[in-house]
Amino acid sequence: MANLTLKNVYKRYENSKSTKTKNDYAVKDLSFECVDGEFLGILGPSGCGKTTTLRMIAGLEEITQGEIYIDDTRINDLHPKDRHIGLAFEDYALYPPLSVYGNIAFNLRAKKVSEKEIKKEIMRIAPLMKVDDILDSKPAALSGGQKQRVNIARAIVRKPKLLLLDEPLSHLDGKMRQTLRVEIKRLHKEIQCATVIVTHDQLEAMSLADKILIMKDAELQQFGTPLEVYDDPVNEFVAGFIGEPPMNLMTVKITRSEGEFFFEFPGSEVRVSVPKRYYSVIKDGIRVKLGVRPMDVLIGNENSKANSAKIAVFENLGDERRINIRVGNEYLNLITFEEVRYKPGDYIKLEFNAEKTHLFDIGTGNRINAI
Amino acid sequence: MARIELCNITKRFKKITAINDIKLEVKDKEFLVLFGPAGAGKTTILKTIAGLEYPDQGQIKFDGEVINHIEPTHRNVSMVFENYALYPHINVYDNIASPLRSPLYKKDEEYIKKKVNAIATVMKIDNLMERLPSQLSNGQRQRVALGRCLVREPKVFLMDEPLAHLDAKLRHLMRAELKEMQSQFNTTTIYVTHDYMEALSLGDRIAIVIQGRFEQIGTGDDIFYRPANELVAKLMGEPEINIFQTELVSDNGNFMLKMLCQERLFALPDDVAKILSAKKVNKFDLGIRGNDIKFYFEKPDASFLTGTIYTIEPIGNKSILTVDVNGQFLRMVAPSDLRAEMDSTIYIKLNLEHALFFNCDDQKFVTRHVSNII
Repeated sequence: MANLTLKNVYKRYENSKSTKTKNDYAVKDLSFECVDGEFLGILGPSGCGKTTTLRMIAGLEEITQGEIYIDDTRINDLHPKDRHIGLAFEDYALYPPLSVYGNIAFNLRAKKVSEKEIKKEIMRIAPLMKVDDILDSKPAALSGGQKQRVNIARAIVRKPKLLLLDEPLSHLDGKMRQTLRVEIKRLHKEIQCATVIVTHDQLEAMSLADKILIMKDAELQQFGTPLEVYDDPVNEFVAGFIGEPPMNLMTVKITRSEGEFFFEFPGSEVRVSVPKRYYSVIKDGIRVKLGVRPMDVLIGNENSKANSAKIAVFENLGDERRINIRVGNEYLNLITFEEVRYKPGDYIKLEFNAEKTHLFDIGTGNRINAI
Repeated sequence: MARIELCNITKRFKKITAINDIKLEVKDKEFLVLFGPAGAGKTTILKTIAGLEYPDQGQIKFDGEVINHIEPTHRNVSMVFENYALYPHINVYDNIASPLRSPLYKKDEEYIKKKVNAIATVMKIDNLMERLPSQLSNGQRQRVALGRCLVREPKVFLMDEPLAHLDAKLRHLMRAELKEMQSQFNTTTIYVTHDYMEALSLGDRIAIVIQGRFEQIGTGDDIFYRPANELVAKLMGEPEINIFQTELVSDNGNFMLKMLCQERLFALPDDVAKILSAKKVNKFDLGIRGNDIKFYFEKPDASFLTGTIYTIEPIGNKSILTVDVNGQFLRMVAPSDLRAEMDSTIYIKLNLEHALFFNCDDQKFVTRHVSNII
């Protein structure tokens, strides 16, 4: 039970062959706080520095510059075993000759905890991770999901101050991943231990974490709740990284006609009204990157001044229906839960959910805020 | 272009029966999807048609003609594999051209050039012609593999999970592109997938393969709205359909439903009540999808059930809310911006007009309410 604080942390590998200054750092000027009981997700594409960050917290990597605190203790120079951190990696690394019980007990036995005490702890943890009925099994007899449960049970049995999970679900297949995701979330609610999970899967971060830290090229992009990063991405990268199917992100030209502004999509006839809240920050003729999620593209009013758009693809996926409009080489994607039916070649008018329409600067990729 | 028939095909690998006495007719120019979980036998069926596996029993017919004995090269099929299988040492152009240079389908270089360029434009890889496969992204490789398959005009295209290796985002895009191209195929196509969205989107018809047998063959609407059994219902949709046991009881002559350990009874649509009450049993499994459960955080009226939130998982364009109603967990779909605390109280209502009813003993479909959509 503790707070974790990172202050201006850098990591630079000495033998790094890269000459570009930007890529020289594996982690660059990273500061954040994970308060007691919070579930924090570090999310980013491979090579963004997220695992390096986790390894620095765990003490498996030296910190080049900056400070890491657990509560008020600076842990930069503390030995990993003295940091009171529970760790569970992607590959389970269970001891094959030991039973599940023996694996979970291993670290406690190493610390000379009494067998009676160990048993009590394991009996408390095992039902939480649903491993109570496999305590006598050997790892070889377990499924991938069960192994990861044992792995996590082993990490939490020591009552760590901080629990670190590195891609714990990546090796599992779809169904198992979904089940274990729910259980990790329930587990966190039970034990209320500050937890940091590293993942490249935005879905995992969105569903597990209270707060998400998004990294790219060693640098922090955005730090916020799942809804904040989903609804208010600070830049084009975050907008495109979070959400599945992805946000429509397209370069559009703003045009003015009869006092109204429109988005014009290059290489197509499609024209859609600009939400009024952006009128003060745009002008006729400029180009911007438009970002709008498929759920926020709406089938518009027939009377609107927007141009009709021709449907290229209509998909009925049972739970939902998807419409794709050809815009040059790309699709503008629309998702609706309404029971509509269209054919390719049909025309519809489009409208964007005003509150959920984002504009990004073409040069910097940063969000353009409506005033 | 051909009509493909599988007549009582069985294929065993030692003691394991991979496909078990299956029958299927694929119409000329039809796009048929073989859909099912991993290990169901989908790829074995495809390989049997291609001639890469020899059936132990049964006949395969192209346009009514038995082709069991015909070598794969002479069957005139064009196949695309899950792992692309491009020639690593030749460029994109030559990879796509390769089927047209094979001794059997040899064409002159002028024809090849025209054909390869045309297909490359459709696949949007015309700017990559000089590259080697190693210089391509996965999405591009997959387009090249598809292009190589489509460049010929065979009797049938066989596609084995061509999108499975792409990441989720690219898969949505490629599925739509494939669908847009579909109308230009003009050739019978058999497509294997374990992704229900690909099956629903692409298939003129879908054959559901489970443990080497067809559980159901029908259009996407048939399979989604009237699944043959509970297994099939569970394969379609995210989150998985909720299925639990209910009891039909007579309330002064009106047939009502008792479920989820509630005191009160629930009214059924008339057509459903009529069919269920004519059965000899009074217990039925009820299937209801996540979209068909309404919820509120304050009790609107007595018709709503009380539950507690077990988990809420935002998954992008929606959230999955798992609710505990007297020990029965129900998964429902919530908007992506919903905020809710675990273990808090929630009030829900099942839309029984969209519910599916199954036999308890064999899990076979019994009935559902018929509306103007379905």
